[in-house]
Amino acid sequence: MQLLKTLGLGLVALACSVAASAAPQRFALDPENTHVHWELKHFGTSTLRGRFDTINGSITLDREAHSGSASISIDTASLSTGTRIFDGVVRGPQLLATSEHPSAYFVASRFTFEGERLVSVAGEFTLRGNSRPLTLKAMRFACRNDTATDPTTAREVCGGDFEAEFNRSDFGITHSLPFVGDAVRLVVQIEGVRQ
Amino acid sequence: MNKTLVAAAILATAGAAAHAELATYAIDPTHTFVTFEANHFGTSTLRGRFDKKEGSVTLDKAAKSGKAEITIDAGSVDTGVAPLDTHLKSKDFFNAEQFATAKFTANKFAFNGDKVSEVAGTLTLLGKTQPVTLKATNFNCYMSPMLKREVCGGDFETTIARSAYGMSFGIADWGLPDNIRLLIQIEAIKQ
Repeated sequence: MQLLKTLGLGLVALACSVAASAAPQRFALDPENTHVHWELKHFGTSTLRGRFDTINGSITLDREAHSGSASISIDTASLSTGTRIFDGVVRGPQLLATSEHPSAYFVASRFTFEGERLVSVAGEFTLRGNSRPLTLKAMRFACRNDTATDPTTAREVCGGDFEAEFNRSDFGITHSLPFVGDAVRLVVQIEGVRQ
Repeated sequence: MNKTLVAAAILATAGAAAHAELATYAIDPTHTFVTFEANHFGTSTLRGRFDKKEGSVTLDKAAKSGKAEITIDAGSVDTGVAPLDTHLKSKDFFNAEQFATAKFTANKFAFNGDKVSEVAGTLTLLGKTQPVTLKATNFNCYMSPMLKREVCGGDFETTIARSAYGMSFGIADWGLPDNIRLLIQIEAIKQ
């Protein structure tokens, strides 16, 4: 009986410790430090750059179990190229059709680690209503205790830089090919605050 | 004898004329941007760009030389985060009220074959002038079907230490980076 009790307590303790170490932690995106930049080649000559400014979402990360999930939505109309007339063209029906497709999504549940380092996040990217697999490669990834703003409310911040490439024609965006390239490079800055 | 000399002189002049293909190109502001990258507390990379700029480039493709003069409106800094833009325009960083523009002037163009590979000159920021060399990662000229003119341009990169221009906010106290990477897209239209 005593043995069973001890064993029972031991099992409970074991279950608790597994739960504690494998508990996924939730991070809310910090909009000031989360941006999706895109790059395309213009006439094979120079690189066009733009970004999306309004991004919402959350990430769960289990650094013990080396797993995670991400659910991110991008306000497509929040695009900014630095040239107002281009912003209008890219929002228009021939390119991102932002009134018909106001959001782009990235939903991912395959987080790959090398040792302790997050190296890639694979999921599905939806743009202009078309969904395709997309893998974001981590160029850097780190966590810090953010005491910069207020030491009394120090919170853990995790984030990094990610890159991905896709062909816009796969998402039905073919306007101005081939003068503006098909290959799109995404450069993603992301930081999340632990909840 | 005289005839030969004259012929040689004509040939030399013709040769010189053939080798001087000086052309002036005006910056296309819709395809010319300076984007800066700054590491954010060792975690991610912050990017911003300047939306207003003007300038011109002269290029002699035969003589493999050139000149560039580009002015950037410091107050047009745009990161997509309004409070950050306000801080960047303040005295802590670009001090845009006192130093409205940054200026890049260059007269040393290096070529790799017929493509520009490097442009060396000076950058004036916060009233301080320092040498800077831009390395080309892309360079090309094409006939624009819309403009019906030749357009030359490319992508250039360099890294500057902002402290060299007296922009030292946060480097010692906050661990903000001194080294800032500049990514430059440029296209210029033949005049």
